[in-house]
Amino acid sequence: MRRLWLILKTDARRHLKSPLTIIIYIIIPVAMTGLIGVIFAPSSGDGTLPPIRVVLVDRDKGLASRLFLGAFDAEQVKKMFQVTTAGEAEGRAMMEKGKASAMVVIPERFSLDLLEIKPVFLEVVKNPAERFLPDITEEFVQTTAVMLSAAVQAFEPEARGVRAMLDAPVDAFPWEALAPELGKAQKKIASAAKYLDPLLLNVKEEKTKAAGAKVNLTRTDIFSTILPGMAIMFLLFIVQTVMRDMISEREDGKLRRMLTTPLRPSELIGARILGGWAMGLSILLVMAAFGTMVYNAHWGPFGYFLTLVVVVSFWSAAFFALMNALVRNRNQAGVLSAPIILGFSLFGGSLMNPEAMPKAFRAVGIVTPNRWFVDGAAAVRDGRFPAVPLLILAVSGLILLLLAVPALRRRSTV
Amino acid sequence: MKTLKRILHIAGNDLRIMVSDKVYFFWSLAFPVLFIVLFGLLYKGGGNGPAVAELTVVNRDQGRWGAYFLEKVKSPGVEIKAVDEEPEAYNRLLVLPADFSAKIEARAAQSLALKKREDASTEAAARVEARLFQAIARVISELVLYGEGDLLKFWDGHPEFRELVRVKTRFPENTVTVVPGGFDHSIPGATVQFIMMMVMIYGGVTVMEDRKKGVMGRMLFSPLSTGGLFQAKLLGRWAMGMIQALILFVVGKVFFKLDLGNVRLSLLVIAVFALAMAALSVFIGSLVGKEDLIIGLAVLLANVFAALGGCWWPIEVVPAGVRQAGMISPAYWAMDALHKLRFFQGDFAAILPHLGVLLGLSAVLSGLAARYFKIRD
Repeated sequence: MRRLWLILKTDARRHLKSPLTIIIYIIIPVAMTGLIGVIFAPSSGDGTLPPIRVVLVDRDKGLASRLFLGAFDAEQVKKMFQVTTAGEAEGRAMMEKGKASAMVVIPERFSLDLLEIKPVFLEVVKNPAERFLPDITEEFVQTTAVMLSAAVQAFEPEARGVRAMLDAPVDAFPWEALAPELGKAQKKIASAAKYLDPLLLNVKEEKTKAAGAKVNLTRTDIFSTILPGMAIMFLLFIVQTVMRDMISEREDGKLRRMLTTPLRPSELIGARILGGWAMGLSILLVMAAFGTMVYNAHWGPFGYFLTLVVVVSFWSAAFFALMNALVRNRNQAGVLSAPIILGFSLFGGSLMNPEAMPKAFRAVGIVTPNRWFVDGAAAVRDGRFPAVPLLILAVSGLILLLLAVPALRRRSTV
Repeated sequence: MKTLKRILHIAGNDLRIMVSDKVYFFWSLAFPVLFIVLFGLLYKGGGNGPAVAELTVVNRDQGRWGAYFLEKVKSPGVEIKAVDEEPEAYNRLLVLPADFSAKIEARAAQSLALKKREDASTEAAARVEARLFQAIARVISELVLYGEGDLLKFWDGHPEFRELVRVKTRFPENTVTVVPGGFDHSIPGATVQFIMMMVMIYGGVTVMEDRKKGVMGRMLFSPLSTGGLFQAKLLGRWAMGMIQALILFVVGKVFFKLDLGNVRLSLLVIAVFALAMAALSVFIGSLVGKEDLIIGLAVLLANVFAALGGCWWPIEVVPAGVRQAGMISPAYWAMDALHKLRFFQGDFAAILPHLGVLLGLSAVLSGLAARYFKIRD
């Protein structure tokens, strides 16, 4: 036991002598979390999307086009869209510079055609380099088009009347005769008001967690969600770097020399696995501490979180112990480990929101430690004990260890 | 002429060593293709949301209006999943209460609760919300038009709702004619990202190893000068980036029907970008003496540049401040130039500023790399 501690201490001292690599592997997840968090975190409580920049090209400049433009002036809509009125060429130039997501073109005769109850078209010109915001603009214009269609149908006789008046001379007919028509219009407005004020149907949004508990998604929540995925990815990189000692010692003859001392192979193997485990554990805790200090990230009950961190670090150490027992040399280990870690991260949800991933990717993800750590960390954040992720990581970690130890013994025999 | 031949020989040899490495195919082909597929499928639906946004609905309504409303919500982009009880797991959940119809018939205002999982896709949620608002607008419009008096008569039939105002969508003239596929976005993104990773990791590590193992020292026994050797290393790493890009573009063309717009200009952009990355890799390899450290630095820089430069997600969802900060990333200039060529059918003049920035960066990084280039430690 004393010898095991000695090896552990020596290894730790050696790694801490040149800690730059480890520091970089700690900085990467923290920096990436910061970057992703800044991009996707809500700046206010009402949404996570930046205002959509829309160019309005009004070729009509009539009553209906002003009504349409007014739709963008509603309080909620103003927050969602940043509208600029311009010509089509200017609009296109803005799209090319990435300064507009879409251009809405109101055609000539828009108002006149509507007053004549003729079908009209609004054009939404989408920025081809963008993938999402132009679609939102289209949906909004569609909604406005439905409302405008309804308004024109509801006031069809009035619209035709206005159209007739526009072309007729001012003294063509007595304005007193309009009184009954205005009365009818007033009744219609009163009738519509029953549905519109207050709005008969509305949608109230609630943000929920898995169990249905209400939350307000904050910047902190975003960081807390992203960091575990990033942390496990770089934990794997660090543990594999630290545990590669096993192979380099075999390659450069240090192992032979060490085994000429009273050191038993089991002690050496135990020290290496324990070293990887302890290093993983410390690194994850440092990352969590960084997350808390820099981003105010929250992890849930510390006891649960610590248990999860202990188990996932154990899994990582056991996994790389087995891998190092199976590969022939350091080069082969380097060749295999990076692709495996990146594969784990890609399928396991370290790099993106699992909901957005294709089903096949999600299915493959269940064989990765990343997926179970990310799921476990989410459960702990919700205040739940991550029983299933812990069980899966612990059992699979033990199996890996049971396979690794005899294989390493064989490779350590001089 | 002889010097050029020697430079080409050394660059070619570096390239041969790299291609003969088994892991090269993982980094240059397998992993980027996984990235392309994943992000390509993701972008199919716009943003980083799923192609079809799922909406779980519990319809407890006792009347006919609930089903009528849901009919209006249906669309190709929104998949309604009807369930009897509120499930534990969902992304977005809409509950129609038992008195939904009764309230409509009584013309009493009501708010429908739309529950959104905090970690679900924002883009998918926005699509569902937009569709819900459209459905509400349709139902209310029909009620205003045909809902006078007893609402039960609504079901006896009424004139069809006329969509007098319709919406046409198109792209700007002389740009694209069909909606760009997800792969048209993900392939350039993955190409730019993996050129950075590959060239920085491989290029940096091999420069460091050649120096440490004395390979470069021995090369000077040949009639090649230090300057010539530096040029050969730079050229070799530039060729790595170009080969990486060609592999992904060919795979993209064959398997994902990639359309780059103007292929020659796209390759020119990649060539200048690869030159900047080659210079950066020689610079890192000259400064750093540990393999793990070079890999760590390369991963950090490549990921930060890729994220800032729009290789991972649509740049439009990025806040304005971060978008401006993105201009410090070489990937931003390459991606923006490729977008101009692909989506706006841009010509040489359109990408001239981008080429200028990337060439300037290449010159600065090459100067730094030359300054710190060492034959021996």
